[in-house]
Amino acid sequence: MVDVSIFKKRITEILSQEYTLEFLGDNLEEIICLLSDTKAEKIYQWVQEILALNIRPIVTGSPKAYKEWKAHQLLTFRYPFSIGNTEYRILFVKVKNFIYIEFHLGDHKYYDKVRKDLDLKKSNY
Amino acid sequence: MIIYNPHNEPLLNECLKEAEELLAQIPARYCFITGSFLYQEKYKDIDVFIVTRSKKEITLENKKVKITTIDFNDIYSLFYHSISKSCIAKNFLPQRPLKVTLSDYWQVINEAIPTLLNEKDRFHKNVRFLVLYTEYFKTGEILDTFQLNEKIHSFKDYHEVMGYIKRELPRIINAAAKPSYVKRFFYTQAGYYKDVLYYDAQRFLYQLVHNIIGGIHG
Repeated sequence: MVDVSIFKKRITEILSQEYTLEFLGDNLEEIICLLSDTKAEKIYQWVQEILALNIRPIVTGSPKAYKEWKAHQLLTFRYPFSIGNTEYRILFVKVKNFIYIEFHLGDHKYYDKVRKDLDLKKSNY
Repeated sequence: MIIYNPHNEPLLNECLKEAEELLAQIPARYCFITGSFLYQEKYKDIDVFIVTRSKKEITLENKKVKITTIDFNDIYSLFYHSISKSCIAKNFLPQRPLKVTLSDYWQVINEAIPTLLNEKDRFHKNVRFLVLYTEYFKTGEILDTFQLNEKIHSFKDYHEVMGYIKRELPRIINAAAKPSYVKRFFYTQAGYYKDVLYYDAQRFLYQLVHNIIGGIHG
């Protein structure tokens, strides 16, 4: 079982940026608690790989507003994993050539909702 | 129980009984089973789909059952048309005309290419939509789950999938859209990829866009 505050701290430390990263998700803390140490380590490694530009983002050409940005200003990195029979997704959002703003973690329903907000998908399918 | 099997694929008799029992346990009018459970002796999951407006979560005791809920707004999609084409359903399924655009197709490619390059070893799982949309725009045919599996397993590795997209896409787009639309839409897309050409996925997409635009004059 992974401690929620340690999980958030590890990711924040890897980023080492002044801007505060937001951790979001309907059941974010419950899901973090379900992670094994190995799964959590893989997530930390994945974040490091993003910083090393080894993970490819999804880029949209949409002009849709997303909070204080436009969707086309954002890069979204996706990490799928499962615990038991349930599939989860991380969506890690960065402003192009700037800062990491959001770390979303949730089930498929939450993932679809965030994808729609970011205009990565117009329908669920 | 209704069996949708337009291509007369051999279905496993033992699965029909189990499918009927599973569907009877689901408290919804429109539900169906598709995928490898119907035609492979060894299967990983039993893919159950429920078309409903209800937000209530439905679970079954069988651990292999994977339930996906589909909203009525999504029965116009290529995905629904594909999964409901060959399936075992509790009742006659709702039918609506297909609504799919080139812009939807590009959105699928835009997401599939980085995913494919990030998870090269899991390419079979990640190219379902990419192949489904490409075959639809190429031939006008909606592949069912059986045909889609066959097509996907004809690719040996992710390189072959990338080659397939590179080869087919310029022809498909230029046959399906007016040159003025192609230029306007794809020049705009190219602009967004240009900022992030340090990623190989976006370099591939940027080059693909130029091949598509180049095809207008070819």
